[in-house]
Amino acid sequence: MTVWNYLESLLPQLILVIFALMMPAFDYLFKDKRLLSILALTPLVALAAAVLSWLFLGVWEPARSNISLLEVNAYSGLFMLVFVSVGIVVVLGSPEFIRKDRNQGEYYSLILLAITGMTIVAESTDLIALFVGLEISGISSFALSGFRKSEKRSAEAATKYFIVGGFSSALTLFAISLLYGYAGTTSIEGIRDAYLSPSPEDWVSNADPILLLGTVLLMAGFGFKIAAVPFHMWAPDVYEGAPTPISGFLAAASKKMGFAAFFKVFLIGLIFSITQWEAAAAALAIITMTVGNVIAVSQTNIKRMLAYSSIAQAGYILIVLPVGTQYAVTGGMFHILTHAFMKSGAFMVVAAMGAVAIGEKLDDFKGLGRRAPWLALAMTLFLLSLAGIPPLAGFASKFVLFSSAVYASSPGPDWLVWLAIAGLLNSALSLYYYARVIKYMYMEKGPPEPIRLTPMLKIAVAVAAIMVVVIGVYPDPVIDVCRDAAEFIFPLA
Amino acid sequence: MLEGVPILSIIIMLPLVGAIVTLLLGKHDKYAKWVAAGFSGAALVLSILVALVFMVHPDGSATGYHQGPVAGGEERFFSYQFYEDYTWIESLGINYTVGLDGISLPLFILTTLLSFLAIVFSWDTSNRPKEYFGLMQILEVGVLGVFVALDYFVFYVFWEVVLIPMYFMIGVWGGPNKDYAAIKFFIYTHIASLAILISIMALYFQADVHSFSMESIAIAGTTEFNKTFQVAIFAAMFFGFGVKVPMVPFHTWLPDAHVEAPTAGSVLLAGLLLKMGGYGIIRVAIPTLPDGAHELVYVIAIIAIASILYGAMLCLAQKDLKKMVAYSSISHMGFVLLGFATFSTLGIVAGVFQMFAHGLVTAVLFMMCGVVQHKTGTRMIPSLGGLSKKMPIAATMMTIGFLASLGLPGLVSFAAEFMVFVSMFNEWALWLFLPIISVAITAGYYLWALQRSMFGPLTDKIDTSHVHDVDWYEGVPVGTLIALIGIFGVFPYLMFQYITPAVEIVTRILGGG
Repeated sequence: MTVWNYLESLLPQLILVIFALMMPAFDYLFKDKRLLSILALTPLVALAAAVLSWLFLGVWEPARSNISLLEVNAYSGLFMLVFVSVGIVVVLGSPEFIRKDRNQGEYYSLILLAITGMTIVAESTDLIALFVGLEISGISSFALSGFRKSEKRSAEAATKYFIVGGFSSALTLFAISLLYGYAGTTSIEGIRDAYLSPSPEDWVSNADPILLLGTVLLMAGFGFKIAAVPFHMWAPDVYEGAPTPISGFLAAASKKMGFAAFFKVFLIGLIFSITQWEAAAAALAIITMTVGNVIAVSQTNIKRMLAYSSIAQAGYILIVLPVGTQYAVTGGMFHILTHAFMKSGAFMVVAAMGAVAIGEKLDDFKGLGRRAPWLALAMTLFLLSLAGIPPLAGFASKFVLFSSAVYASSPGPDWLVWLAIAGLLNSALSLYYYARVIKYMYMEKGPPEPIRLTPMLKIAVAVAAIMVVVIGVYPDPVIDVCRDAAEFIFPLA
Repeated sequence: MLEGVPILSIIIMLPLVGAIVTLLLGKHDKYAKWVAAGFSGAALVLSILVALVFMVHPDGSATGYHQGPVAGGEERFFSYQFYEDYTWIESLGINYTVGLDGISLPLFILTTLLSFLAIVFSWDTSNRPKEYFGLMQILEVGVLGVFVALDYFVFYVFWEVVLIPMYFMIGVWGGPNKDYAAIKFFIYTHIASLAILISIMALYFQADVHSFSMESIAIAGTTEFNKTFQVAIFAAMFFGFGVKVPMVPFHTWLPDAHVEAPTAGSVLLAGLLLKMGGYGIIRVAIPTLPDGAHELVYVIAIIAIASILYGAMLCLAQKDLKKMVAYSSISHMGFVLLGFATFSTLGIVAGVFQMFAHGLVTAVLFMMCGVVQHKTGTRMIPSLGGLSKKMPIAATMMTIGFLASLGLPGLVSFAAEFMVFVSMFNEWALWLFLPIISVAITAGYYLWALQRSMFGPLTDKIDTSHVHDVDWYEGVPVGTLIALIGIFGVFPYLMFQYITPAVEIVTRILGGG
């Protein structure tokens, strides 16, 4: 029975891995490669349905196992929902995009494996498990971005991503070893408990140099994952070079894994030394959002623009760390969820254009409002949502996120309110480059011939667009679930 | 009558449904104008019904009535009619709350009226009619929502919804420099909105009532908001609303937007969007933060007078008829701020009435600019001249519009501006000489422009052989507005009966008489 207990809580990962391993085999069996994508969708849709019915409807409760390395709770559940939702959108958007490529089985297999790794990160309660999860998803992502290995850009992206990713893994691992040296354990809660230890002879300072070095290195290691400035250099090149659905996957899912790790380690494990790192985290947030937005303004390639925009969005989410309240984590989780939909949706629109051999430059979007009215409408919704215009999802989540900084400054330190002001000013700046794309779509003349899309791409874009509108108009249940999830970071209040 | 009917929500939903129907017309886009006129016309009829019910039952006995909180026998905050309240986002304390009182009613009617007339005025639009009429109706939804929202979150959502259709109207149907104007309008006013947003967040957390209701926050604020907080937030809100008004020195988006916008877009922009700023100040900023308003009263007054004078002088220098009208809005909206700054019942009533009056008058002016441009192909005053010979009806309408705008007694603006002057004299006595200079300047630029464009010898700088008089779809809206300008000029009481009781509550909150 104990074996079954172990397996039960690992069931989602097992399902994903089994499907991932079957994929290459089915690649040989199926003539029509689109069946592969349907096969890959099966576990994702099943998991999404399961998580939805658990978190939103409360129909069932997941099994709690006694594996000390992983814990399934609302926090990991919400992240799993983000990962599988992005997975669904990306897999729906892929078949048309890669229809001429070889090895399509491996493509879906790698997506499923990457998602497996991400869910492990969200569930981990131990730095070692967390690191294993990071690596599983990281290595799959490297291979995915180099999927078109004969294409120079794709190979370059993969190489760059691999080198930077390896470097950041090394930093993370070194940081973990330092924290182990400080606390004598790799358990995330264990690190916190080591500081709170009641006996005086075990007492350690929260300004211990080993701890601070570990904290900084960990910030850098995770910073690479979420592409925070100054660890962002890889992101635009990789997003530009990778196949477009994979760019969407990296921006909307892989990045969120970095936040899953960030919140867990910093707000549970290292919360006791928040006074030591909050200024650094605040600076990281403000620099990241500002640099991301400023550089995005001058981009003429939509994929690069979206890459810088997602750097900026990472900056917004980073304000959760210095604010460090339950409300802030709620806002952060909420924005992670909405960003997953709007960003993956925007990338799918670009992928849809790529699938019919239209480029990904700003000029190629000229007159899209005439050529593909629904596609242009969806893109408009995604971009306005990213800019935070009501009543779309991006506004609701930014509202909660930024107001958490305002809230924290009523009793707490006053400087936190500047995080909200910086975020709002940046939102205004970002509106410029988002509105420019809309201008090109509707106000410039393009070639007259209409664009025809395949049904799966339409579904992928429609799913994301509907979520952006629905969450924007009725965010209440989502906020509730985000709050439940945040309670696992801050059990108090 | 109307008891239990969510009449305000129905009026807001009508243009929204209309917009969706319009956008879904597909290839039948020649029906777009009919759909738009039908839905916004229905909204207009219902809003007139609302106004009549309000007039017959000023105590709210026949409608969904929400009595404001009372303390010591006096109302501490506004009472509303046609009140609706539904939970929307429970976890943040956000309710969909709407209601109407004497301050919002004139602007609500103005919105349905101008939207309908602007749609009629655009009857011959052939460039993408579906999108054009769809966006006009979405704009109407946003503005209507702003004027009835009683929850800050709902208010802000509607406030921002207005931006997007206007951005597209300028950007798609605009003049030669439309790209620049559209994006400048969008970003300039969006930054102002963000100042409002952060003020709303600060109010919400400082009041600590877990509600975005304007009323709850204002009541909690009487004890929770200290003076420093009030001054800081009032300044932020005043900036946010003032950009929209627009006040000097944050007015520079307005001429660009107006010059490039299509005529109907200008009508809605000047007639309605500017009023949102003034409405925000009197509905939100002053009653919620009275101490902040008291501290900054001279700032408001100086900015108001600067807007009045600077706007008027800018008009003198304009060669473009439409740009002149656009700058005159800055001057006339300055009177609104000046009326508010007196903190007296008379002044605030005059300010609110001036918003209504300016909405009617400026719509006529922009429509006539549109007619001139349409018929002659130019709006440059030096190229025009003697047009009254070719288009006598248009010249008559333009003359009436200009005279109304310069404050001729018997027409609507006179009542408003005169009351602003009286209330300012009560408050600051002879400082009145500053704004009163503008009366002379205003008369100057209007009459001079009229003389050069409409009268005198017929111009030979442009080909006038094809110039003909107004078409029906231009004449009818302008004629309607001119009739209303006359009616409300002679009987301003028709509006004062609504405005005064609500404004008395504002002055009571401000601690005056």
